[in-house]
Amino acid sequence: MNELEKLLGRIIQRINVNLRELEYDVSPFIKNLVPLNQMVKFHAFYGITPNHSLDFLFNHSNLAGSYFLGKIQVRNSILYKSDIRGDELKSKGDVFHYQKFEIPITTDEGIDIEDSFLIKTLVHNFSHDPETLEKFFIRDTITSHYANIHGAPMDGSFLGPFSTVDLTTMRDCVIGAFSYIQAGEVDHLNIEPGTVWVRSPDDFNFHYRYPADRLKDYICFDKGAPPKGLFIDFVEDRKEDFGQLFNVFNIEQPASVPESSSLNRFSVIKPKTYISENVMVAQRAYLENAWLGKGANAQEQCYVINSRLDGFDIMAHGAKIIETNLGENVFVGFNSFLRGRTDSRLTVGRDTIIMPHTIIDTKKPLAIPPGHLVWGLITTPDELESNSIALEDLSKIDAGLMKGNMSFEGSGAVFVNAFRERIHHILEANGAFFDGKKNRGHAQKNQNISFNTIQPYPDGELQGLYPAIVIQP
Amino acid sequence: MSEYRVKELMVPLSEYATVPVGSTLFEAVLALEEAQEEFDHTKYKHRAILILDKNNRVIGKLGQLDVLRALEPKDENAEKIGELGQFGFSPSFIHKLRKQRRLKAAPMKDVCSKASKLKVEDFMQTPSEGEFIEAEAYLDMAIMQLVTGPHISLLVTHNEEIIGILRMTDAFAAVFHTMKECEI
Repeated sequence: MNELEKLLGRIIQRINVNLRELEYDVSPFIKNLVPLNQMVKFHAFYGITPNHSLDFLFNHSNLAGSYFLGKIQVRNSILYKSDIRGDELKSKGDVFHYQKFEIPITTDEGIDIEDSFLIKTLVHNFSHDPETLEKFFIRDTITSHYANIHGAPMDGSFLGPFSTVDLTTMRDCVIGAFSYIQAGEVDHLNIEPGTVWVRSPDDFNFHYRYPADRLKDYICFDKGAPPKGLFIDFVEDRKEDFGQLFNVFNIEQPASVPESSSLNRFSVIKPKTYISENVMVAQRAYLENAWLGKGANAQEQCYVINSRLDGFDIMAHGAKIIETNLGENVFVGFNSFLRGRTDSRLTVGRDTIIMPHTIIDTKKPLAIPPGHLVWGLITTPDELESNSIALEDLSKIDAGLMKGNMSFEGSGAVFVNAFRERIHHILEANGAFFDGKKNRGHAQKNQNISFNTIQPYPDGELQGLYPAIVIQP
Repeated sequence: MSEYRVKELMVPLSEYATVPVGSTLFEAVLALEEAQEEFDHTKYKHRAILILDKNNRVIGKLGQLDVLRALEPKDENAEKIGELGQFGFSPSFIHKLRKQRRLKAAPMKDVCSKASKLKVEDFMQTPSEGEFIEAEAYLDMAIMQLVTGPHISLLVTHNEEIIGILRMTDAFAAVFHTMKECEI
């Protein structure tokens, strides 16, 4: 175990060096956040498919309970129950469009993780940084529980629990719990918990900050203690269901699945779940009494409980819906938490966009009208009024708007179009538009995956470390 | 110009407006008015009040801007609007938000009445390292400190005690006088 302890110490030191300008010390947050003996208990596993690269290099690392797909290198790192999903990486011969540039991709892109500690974190998508198109790097970085690194190369950063960095190159930043950052390129920022920031320079800028006193009921991360709050309780209550999946080698498909859909073997499917065509359910998704219409998807760490998705709905990574009905073409952003009650359901009208990191928690029936943008913390109809706007009205805004805790500057029309284009791209990538021949996506390509496992040294000086491994076709 | 020493140009502490810590903004403004009435050897008025601790040591300075700052509406939005700059919002957008907030605030008379009861220590500025100057120092050193600060006044010390204040207007008057002498 000595070597693993040394490795953790080395990672903490490296990130503290990076964050010295912010005078930020990660040590009190990280020490004992995950006991080292936990890191010896779980095997790692990787996927093999004819549709994705198979190119792994693991060196001087612990990979406990983590999953790998695609082209990935991990060195001097600890990855605890994380998903490193390289099924959207760029391929040699692709062309990347950026402003007036058309940049050819000269080698297959790879995810490159070095000197980092990721806890229950999802890494997905591809590098959007035009300066590093073939290497999606994560260096000198620590992420806490259920963070998302989505198309976001980063160096020297610390991400709090349930935070997301999306399509952004980040250097030397601290991202507070439940914050969402999509801003192109940022450095040396210390972002408060509960900040939602979406910026496209010269086009638009969206900013929302959760009231700290109310956010702490949902997620709270203080020095010397693991994250706590309703979000943590919610996932912990369902942890055992996932444990069973990892303990069994062969598992029967628990629900009837059409040929054009895929249900990951590491997803939890409880009774009364219905899967339509072109549906994609990712690993670590949780469905219970869930009705998923054509083209819907539930990505990693998504929970759909006593809910219905009419079709072509997107549940982005970490989104959770309980006692909720989604009309068609609804987008539920990263880590959003939508909760109705048994006798007081939440209804979301078609074509509505739920911004990433939105909390809707209602004890009375609540209906969100079709075609709206919704953000922030909503528990009553009044809060829905101050935290939403019709997309048609937003499209008319060309200067600025301040509504409640939300500030918006720039072109509403460009903002709405950017979201609509992205939603279309996500549906396309997930195979929602597959017609039996064309438009194959993850739902069709991820149907037949073989999973292999790898394990660490069980004892001795190197206990918990995995031997250096190269896996190629 | 260097022939002027700071001690010749400064206003002695005894002639300057001072109030003890714990005073209200209204008491500070009254002290300023009183000091101004008694101080008649220059046409330039005092613009600040010094805050003294229980041992009569200067612990802070309350300028006109600090008093005006106390009139700004106090709510959590103020901080939020201030933070938007680091998130890339434009100065014109931030100015517009501040303007909207001001329009929604209470009438000026009510704001003044409320602010007059606030404590000076909540708005005073604690002197920084470059704000002190020795009484024996020459004017050119004082000008350098005023410009590089920039500061509108310097606290003058002797044997580590603050004995007076050198205002920008005092330094300017000395410079003006020297210029005139050169022309003649």
